[in-house]
Amino acid sequence: MSAPGGDAGLAQYVDTTVSVITNDGRTIVGTLRGYDQATNLILDECHERVYSSKNGVEQLVLGLYVIRGDNIAVIGEIDDDKDASIDFNQVRAPPLKSVAH
Amino acid sequence: MAEEENTVREPLDLIRLSLDEKVYVKLKGERELRGKLHAYDQHLNMILGDVEETVTSVEIDEETFEEIIKASEGDSSRMVPYLFVRGDGVILVSPPLRS
Amino acid sequence: MLFYSYFKTLVGKEVTVELKNDLAITGTLHSVDQYLNIKLNNIRVVNEQKYPHMLSVRACFVRGSVVRYVQLPPGSVDVELLHDATRREARGG
Repeated sequence: MSAPGGDAGLAQYVDTTVSVITNDGRTIVGTLRGYDQATNLILDECHERVYSSKNGVEQLVLGLYVIRGDNIAVIGEIDDDKDASIDFNQVRAPPLKSVAH
Repeated sequence: MAEEENTVREPLDLIRLSLDEKVYVKLKGERELRGKLHAYDQHLNMILGDVEETVTSVEIDEETFEEIIKASEGDSSRMVPYLFVRGDGVILVSPPLRS
Repeated sequence: MLFYSYFKTLVGKEVTVELKNDLAITGTLHSVDQYLNIKLNNIRVVNEQKYPHMLSVRACFVRGSVVRYVQLPPGSVDVELLHDATRREARGG
């Protein structure tokens, strides 16, 4: 699993809830099941959180995803208790920009 | 040795001669930096000191009127003590004027 | 290798990583790898009002390729050391 040398060091996030921000600005939340040195990810039971300035956050169920490392900007380790305390229906924010350019 | 250090054969030689000097860096996304060059590598990753960053035009989300107004507010500038700059965003580096 | 080595000396220090999607994340530098991927602990997003997307995130991995800038702690920049290392690297490469 954890390759020597180019290890992205994501071992400590495995089997925890992570929030992945993709290069096109989407946020995908799920359980990290695996990764490799190219930051390709296996995300289990994941859903997308769609942010909007007009409405609350919409949650779209996605299921099991493999995300290609090239399209990943940030992998965040989620504090489950804190996450559960957020009322996402009340969160208003424009979608993140893409990292293009 | 000293002579070799001062010869300019390739673009990066010119940048080497700009070490510890104030340089101008133009970046993608209408960004400009002015600061003292403290380090660089072959990718043009850099560390600049006493950096002034200027962003000339805000990216416009054409769907919302609000952000169009923001863009017309014009230039914004800030100072940062030390900044690592990733080379893939660099368009050009201009050595200091020797006048 | 120059910047990989340099960032390793900043482990444990607080830095602000600015991304190409305009997010700016402040946190304690936990680790860096050869691609300049960066791991931060105890993070907070600059301008959380505008960017509530990481409110429940306590630590993160930032892919090196999406980094625009890293704001460095002034006390941890030894300019003489950097000049020497840069000249050494320029000769080698």
